[in-house]
Formats: sequence, structure tokens, C-alpha cells
Amino acid sequence: MYYIGLVVEYLKNYMKTRLTYRADFWVEVVSDLLMQASNLIFIFVVFGHTNTLGGWSESEVVFVYGFFMVPFGLFSCFVNLWNFSERYIVKGEMDRILTRPAHNLFQIFLENIDPPGLIGSLIGLIIMVISGGQLGIELLWWHIPVLILFAISATLIYTGIYITLTSLSFYSDSPTGIIPLMYNIQNYGRYPVTIYNRAIQFLLTWILPFAFVGIYPASLFLGRTEMTHMAWLTPVMAATFLTIGLTSWNVGVKKYRGAGS
Amino acid sequence: MNAIEVEHLNKTFKVQKNREGLKGALQDLFSRQYNEVAAVNDISFSIPVGEICGYIGENGAGKSTTIKMLTGILVPTSGKLNVGGYVPHEEREKFVRNIGVVFGQRSQLWWDIGVIESFGLLRKVYGVGENDYKKRLDELVQRLDLGELLSRPVRKLSLGQRMRCELVAALLHNPSIVFLDEPTIGLDIIVKTEIREFLKDMNRQHGTTILLTTHDLQDIEALCSRVIMLDEGRIIYDGGLDTLKSRWGQGTRITFQFGNHCPLPRLQALTSELDVSWTADNDLHAEVLVPGEMSVSDVLARVVGHADIAITDIKITETTTDEIVRQIYQTGSATVPTPAVAEGGPHSHA
Repeated sequence: MYYIGLVVEYLKNYMKTRLTYRADFWVEVVSDLLMQASNLIFIFVVFGHTNTLGGWSESEVVFVYGFFMVPFGLFSCFVNLWNFSERYIVKGEMDRILTRPAHNLFQIFLENIDPPGLIGSLIGLIIMVISGGQLGIELLWWHIPVLILFAISATLIYTGIYITLTSLSFYSDSPTGIIPLMYNIQNYGRYPVTIYNRAIQFLLTWILPFAFVGIYPASLFLGRTEMTHMAWLTPVMAATFLTIGLTSWNVGVKKYRGAGS
Repeated sequence: MNAIEVEHLNKTFKVQKNREGLKGALQDLFSRQYNEVAAVNDISFSIPVGEICGYIGENGAGKSTTIKMLTGILVPTSGKLNVGGYVPHEEREKFVRNIGVVFGQRSQLWWDIGVIESFGLLRKVYGVGENDYKKRLDELVQRLDLGELLSRPVRKLSLGQRMRCELVAALLHNPSIVFLDEPTIGLDIIVKTEIREFLKDMNRQHGTTILLTTHDLQDIEALCSRVIMLDEGRIIYDGGLDTLKSRWGQGTRITFQFGNHCPLPRLQALTSELDVSWTADNDLHAEVLVPGEMSVSDVLARVVGHADIAITDIKITETTTDEIVRQIYQTGSATVPTPAVAEGGPHSHA
């Protein structure tokens, strides 16, 4: 209850700040949308040259992309660790965080909350509806609750992976190279994993499980039975990776050395 | 009852050694060498509830590191800690509800929103009830005269205004122990005085325990009954400010300006029964150092009133805390110097 109250308060504060910088807000929304649009155009270009991709049709791949956008939007809204190392470790703002009575990681999430990200999720849903319609998928009673479950699980997979990587900042001064690399790798998760070679499939499934933020859970709605068992693993993977992330974070905080004076 | 208890506290940092040149940098890439640096080295002290204690030392002496361990930010390498009944780094979230922290060089407030909005957010973070919050805020705002500042965004405040707001932010939840790390840094003399007065009142009214670090010894003189002095991670002095002064103070210095030539031997002869030491740059100017336990008038009586000595000016100065502390920093120890050494002429010893 306490934590939900805090989310509301920080969101209010976000809005107050953003009202002073309105132009900024819209620039962010528009640039986000342009990036998503360019990804989508890329898919259309690929299917301009071929009819199927590893046995998946254009509409199916677009549907997967739509699903992929939902947890990614949630993740970029609520879990923004992009400049953690610079802001909290190098500048020492972690000091302030640690002297306040809420979990430190949660405070960091709240301070970097970024609601424009949610617009991506909304557009993802719209894409799913449109391409689902083209594929003739009927909306069944279990679709909505499972979609919510999978979207949240996928968000937590992102969260787990990024917390783990970010907690390296507590040991090394600037592991800045890793996060942009991850942002590249995660994009592989929105294409059918079967098109990659075995090593990459293994990597995307078990080591950096980005296949679980796109193709696996989305396949359930598409009725691709070969992946059903993987789809249902999504919440399990979420729990596992979130646990790993939180553990390494909590260990890392103990190693925090502070900055400057 | 003690608010803060520290026993054999240690904090060592691993510091990477950088080898010189490009070749050294390449070597560092593959095998790193580390130095262990003891920032805080086996310190023990306890602070009773309701005390204002000053924590001083040169830059890099380990003051901030200690404060950060006491507030739960850093985990000690070894040693025992108890602050307000908690081990800070173990039960951090419960523990910090009970303390207030002000870092003079960092802001607690949100940069872009009005001060009052920041306070509102902190109220939620600390879970302070609406009524308690209103009462406390009114009291603080009135006391620190913040009235018209509350609606302004923090980035538009002057340093002095911001600092007063920082104090309110750290005290809204009515903490029983307050840590201040250089709270008066960079402030003008009026704001400094205001803040000192405020802290003193708070200590008197609420019995708040205060630990503050500072480089401004006037803060210490105005506020603290006790100082802890740190050098290279060790405590070199822990006790009353008065004791420090009387033990280290070199007594009183009397400076004479003469109208005619008055040689040093003549002056020494006049005060031969007293244990004082004279120094003189020339025959027109002389200084005498009077130890703390001796009365200044005794010395003056012996010098003044001789027909052959025309005194044009007399200046009496006491050793200031600044001088005392500078001397301790330079020698790196607060053991009492032997009187003979302390009172010799400036050229007779190093």
C-alpha cells in the first residue's frame, strides 16, 4: 500500500515537472514513435522479399512485434536504469537514496519513471488487434488475463536482466558499454528464434532470455503449438531472473563505496 | 543512554594503482594492482542522547566515511555500530526513519518543482501523518523564515535559501538523531549564524542528538560541547572544546610597541621572576607569551610604568581555536606538547 501510494506521488510529481517542460515531453513521445515505426518498416521491407520467415508469415511477425512492444513500454516507463551508473554512482546520488526509508532500487525506479514509454505499449496493443484480425484470431476469454500475465512476466524478465547488469556498477567504475549492447540484443527476441543458429537460440532462451519477451509468449496467441510449452515458461523465467537480479543488486549495494567528499 | 555507539570501527577501501605511461595503462588493463587504504582506522566513541558533537579533521581524514557508515550508506569493513538502537546498514529502511541527514554539498530536494512539493513528497516517503506534518512544517517554516520561498522551484533559490530548505527537508519526520555533513559550507555569515541558532534551539527543545562535521570552527564553538578530532582515520582528540583550548592553547600573547629603544634583555630582566618568554624583531617591538594559568596583569604591571620605557601600544591576543587546530593538524597528534617546547621563541624550535 505504502509503495503504491509512492508510485502515485511520484507520477504526480512527474506531471508537475513535465508541465514546465512540455515541449520536451512531446519530443520524447514523437522520437519514441519514430523509432518503433522504423522497426516496423524494417519488417515490411523484409517481407517485401520473402513470404515467410522461418515458417512465420508477415502478419504473425507483426503480431509478435506488437506483443513485444507492450512489455517493452512497461519496462521503459517503470524501470529506467539507463543512466544509473553516471547519476547515482559517479555523482553519488545513491547516498541520498540510501538515507530514505523505502527500498533503494524502488526509489531509483520511481525517480526515473517515464510515462511516455507507455504510449509504445498502447500502440503495441493496437498492432496486435490489427494483425490478429488479419490472421483471423478470435478473442477468447483467457486471452486478456494471459496477456496481462505474460506482459508483466516479460517486463520482469527485462527488469531482472537489467538489474543484474546495472548492479555491476557497484563493482566497476563504469560498465557503460554493456547496457547499449543489451538494448541491441533484446531486439532479436521479437523474431522467430528458429531462424537463428543453435548457439544464438540457446543464448536467447536461457542466458539472456529475450525470446521470452517476444516470440515465445506471443506464439501462444497465434496458436503455434510447437512453442506452447515455452510460452508457459515465461512466468517461471520471470521469477528466476528477477530473483537473480534482486540478489545481485542487494549484494552490490553492500559494496557501494560512495563518491567524493 | 547513548544515541550513537561505535566500537573498533574500520573501513578500508581498495584503491587501484595506476601505472605510469601508455605501457603502464596497458599493463593495468590485464593485471591490476591495488592498495588498501584505511579511511577509518579502529575508532571507538559514544555519544549520549541530546549531545551536540563536532566531528573535525582535515580533508580526507575520514569524517565523511564515518558519517556514511553511521547513516547506513556504507557497510563497515569491521567493528560494531549502534545508532538509535539499530545497526544502520542491516536494517536500513527502518533505521533511517529515525534519523535526519544533511549533506551540505548535495541536495535532498527535487530540482524542478516547488519546495513545498518536495516536502509533500518527503512526507509520503517517510509516512508522516497529515496533522503531524502540518504542525512540524509550520514550526520549521516560521523558525527559518521560509514563508515566501515555499512555492519557488529549488533551482531558483540562493545557496542560503536552499540550505534552510534542506534543513526542513531533513527534519520533517522529526528525527531524534541528526547528521550534518558540512552544513554551513559556502554560506554567508548571516545564514551561518541563523543555522547555528536554529540547531541550538532544536537541540534544546526536542533533545535532538546532533553530529556535525565542519571546517568552520566557529560552528563548533557556537554549538558543540564536545569535539572529536580525526587524522588519517584515527581519533586524535575526543573531549570538551574547553579542555582542548586549555591544554593546547599557548596562553595569551601581549604585543608591545615602544616609542624608544627597549632591548630584549631589559624586558627579560623585568620579568625574571615570571615564567614567560619574550621575542623581539627589533628594539621597538616585542612580544611576550603568558601561559594560561598566569595572570596577564602580573606581566603588564612589571613592564608598564618605567620612565625609560615609553609604550605606545599594547595588544593582547588569545590563541584562537583556529590556531590550535591548525597546529594539531600540522603535528598530526593531540598529545599535549611540553610547555618548554610550546613556549620557546618561534625560531628556537621546529
